[in-house]
Amino acid sequence: MTDVTTQADRPELDDEQERPAPFWQRLVAGSSTPIGLILAALVLVFSVLEPNAFLDTANARNIATDAAVLLVLATGMTYVIITAGIDLSVGAVLVFSGVVSAKAMNAVGGDNWGVIFVGLAVALAGGLAWGLINGFLIAKAKIPAFVVTLGTLGMSLGASLVITGGVDEREVPFKLITTIGTGRAFDQIPWLVIIAFAVAIVFGIVLAATRFGRYTYAVGSNEEAARRAGIPVDRHLMKVYALAGTLAGLAGFLSLARFSTTTIGGHDTDNLQSIAAVVIGGTSLFGGIGTMLGSVFGVFIPAVLDNGFVIVGVNPFWQEIAVGAVLVGAVFLDQLRRRSQYQR
Amino acid sequence: MTRKIWVLAASLAMLAFGVAACGSDDNGSTSSGASTSGSSSAAKKNYKMTLIAGVKGDEFYITMNCGAQAKAKELGVTLDFQGPDKFDASLQTPVVNAVAAKKPDAVLVAPTDTKAMYAPIKQLADAGTKVALVDTTLEQADFAVSQIASDNEGGGKAAADTLSKLIGGKGKVFVVNVKPGISTTDARGKGFEAGAKAAGLTYVGQQYDDDDPAKAAAVTKAALAKNPDLKGIFATNLFSAEGAASGIREAGKLGKVKIVGFDAGPKQVEDLKNGIVQALIAQKPAEIGADGVQQAYNALTGKPTEKQIGTGFTSITKDNLAENAAALYKPSC
Amino acid sequence: MPEPLLEARGIVKSFGRVRALRGANFTVLPNEVVALVGDNGAGKSTLVKTLAGVHQPDEGEILFEGEPVEIHTPLDARRLGIETVYQDLALAAELDAGANMFLGREIMRPGVLGRLGFIDKQAMRTRSREAFDNLGVALQDTAAPVATMSGGQRQGIAVSRAVTWASKVVFMDEPTAALGVVQTRNVLDLIGRVRGQGLAVVLISHNMPEVFEVADRIEVLRLGERVARFRRGDVSMEDVVGAMTGAITHDTQDDLERPEADRPDQDVGPDAPRR
Repeated sequence: MTDVTTQADRPELDDEQERPAPFWQRLVAGSSTPIGLILAALVLVFSVLEPNAFLDTANARNIATDAAVLLVLATGMTYVIITAGIDLSVGAVLVFSGVVSAKAMNAVGGDNWGVIFVGLAVALAGGLAWGLINGFLIAKAKIPAFVVTLGTLGMSLGASLVITGGVDEREVPFKLITTIGTGRAFDQIPWLVIIAFAVAIVFGIVLAATRFGRYTYAVGSNEEAARRAGIPVDRHLMKVYALAGTLAGLAGFLSLARFSTTTIGGHDTDNLQSIAAVVIGGTSLFGGIGTMLGSVFGVFIPAVLDNGFVIVGVNPFWQEIAVGAVLVGAVFLDQLRRRSQYQR
Repeated sequence: MTRKIWVLAASLAMLAFGVAACGSDDNGSTSSGASTSGSSSAAKKNYKMTLIAGVKGDEFYITMNCGAQAKAKELGVTLDFQGPDKFDASLQTPVVNAVAAKKPDAVLVAPTDTKAMYAPIKQLADAGTKVALVDTTLEQADFAVSQIASDNEGGGKAAADTLSKLIGGKGKVFVVNVKPGISTTDARGKGFEAGAKAAGLTYVGQQYDDDDPAKAAAVTKAALAKNPDLKGIFATNLFSAEGAASGIREAGKLGKVKIVGFDAGPKQVEDLKNGIVQALIAQKPAEIGADGVQQAYNALTGKPTEKQIGTGFTSITKDNLAENAAALYKPSC
Repeated sequence: MPEPLLEARGIVKSFGRVRALRGANFTVLPNEVVALVGDNGAGKSTLVKTLAGVHQPDEGEILFEGEPVEIHTPLDARRLGIETVYQDLALAAELDAGANMFLGREIMRPGVLGRLGFIDKQAMRTRSREAFDNLGVALQDTAAPVATMSGGQRQGIAVSRAVTWASKVVFMDEPTAALGVVQTRNVLDLIGRVRGQGLAVVLISHNMPEVFEVADRIEVLRLGERVARFRRGDVSMEDVVGAMTGAITHDTQDDLERPEADRPDQDVGPDAPRR
């Protein structure tokens, strides 16, 4: 680095300016705070309407468990959308991973940690494979992400149907169901929830504090600038999609553990739900902006809405309208706040 | 600028509040909140029940709800109606969980999987809710106060007999089923297969459509392509019958292939009138719903309950359509 | 005759049917400021991007310090000590100034954390603030995304970045385009200082007065080829414009022949470069 000094006085380095703001201050002023507040507002509304039902520990546990799989998907999707990409194949890859995992475990046979480990490895490998296909076609063949992942959605779901003959695989090692699927730590917190949050925390830290995370933001903000700065953009994109695929594989394994069936027909809208969660959480579809904390909030807003509406007794056909309206409203508010910040 | 944002945030919260509050009136309950005044005497408590369908938009469950609502009104009980978007355990579980949070006195539920739905439904029972299994059931159902369903195996056999008559006693027949793990449709398929073989028909097999009419149409067309001399089809539920009829029509085999469908929703009745479907085996969903409410009520008031109730079915053809109007399913109450 | 620091010979580059460079030549001497001028579409940006590793030439060769080199990627150019301020600035708008300064060259945390991939945002912010202060770029909040800053500040960041990292050559493509009077002055002063520290500066500019203020030599590109090269002292603005439009050609090497004693301002004083 060339040290270019002037003859003029060097201004004293202002220590006060350079120390980062204290953690709590960053949290309060952070970009995901408004969405967090909206989530808090919704929890408040439902608690007021139905305090006994909604504020129950068991209900909170159920909301968290119902949201766990989606949280794992949203973790991967956060990275993808920050790079200004998109991954429509996550629900189908989830199903595929569950299918191959179940088949593998049944082929190996038995009911012990060994076979469970085999199932996990196969599920992750299945997700990784589709993720790499996505990454390669998007980064190297330069096909738009929307098109590629739409294609892999069809292919992975189709492959699942071929492998299973269109019929859910319903034989799953019992130990898997009783431990990861429905088991709890300290008899209170379901393992599914712990695993999902662990994934979100680990990858949230990676996103915020490592070079991999920074490259993700850089590529999303200005891909050409990143290239010119020497960042291996193609390789990075491949890694991001591979990550999303692998996490979809993990999600498939967790879903299999929970329901003890591959639920082929139940994941058609997982892709849009995880995209919605990430976007609600403040990640911009145009790339370069977003946080994992925001995505966590974004996952729980629809989960709370779905749960709250059933508890309060909203007509099931009105629920979808209501959830959609609240979603649009939440993102609109966030956009307003951003625009005022960026105005120059 | 920031003030504007907070005003909008407050409006959003009020919107959610408003929708929730308004929406809760429109849940088909008989008397929301009228528990203390008026009709209730000191001895009669206003019990709160919920009916959880297998899937929201299916006229079978809507008709069941109508029957259940009528019985609930008669007994002075409040009944909610909920259901998932598709017939799948991963979608029904969050609904069951949310209903569990309300700790209703009783729940009527149609489980979407005999194994996967055990845990969430058991959770209901463990919290003290009386559970009645309507239509479908679980592999382990000891904790339920009652299981109410049609005699599905008998219905399948009846369908085989009806189809046999329609195609002249011999020929190839095919089944469009939903997916394995659903107690009712599994039984119908089984009953049909036994009945078809007993009647001397050639049973070429069954395919699954995951309760999706589009897939049902696709497997039907595929079966026709594979067996050009196919004479009859049995569709085991409402969406399957809808899809099989479309498949026949699209393949241009109207009239050449006879269809017997299970369930008599408005679309199936249309198809029956237009000659696309030749016979419908109608269950009695309203009766199932009413029985469910009654059994739950009995359990709550300490009266004896029946562990298993089998309801009947009606065989409907174009000819006897008029006299069996009451057996047809309704799209709304 | 001083040996060229960087030389492009016969560069041909096409984009589809458009031939942007048709055998272009270009020379950069050590410690000089050379202006690359030409009309719109002459190929200036393409030539710069080729030398910066963003484009690969279809034909031609590049020599660095007398040796032929292959510059396939921006990293190759960087390794040679070549940095570029692009016309579009190549900044990541959503990242802050420190992140942009160290883009692709992040400072890792010491020890195990660093090897795991953790970056030291604090250090990057501090060091980039030093660079900005040195170069007179005033930023209210270095933690704010670059998108919230004015065009002038953004250009200042881009220039600071290139100047901070370069060790041999800095390309500047229209560096004063978005700047006000004071900032333009700063950049021009900066160019002079940079040259004095042993860096060569290649300046692409439409602004003739600026060119004539700082450049030692001027090379003119027209329709993808070098058509003229002048020593600044030997030529008038009209001549240069004439070369740009094709009225004059002057592709001899007499701009290299005379020693650099003619350069203003740099002959005396403690900062005078030694030959």
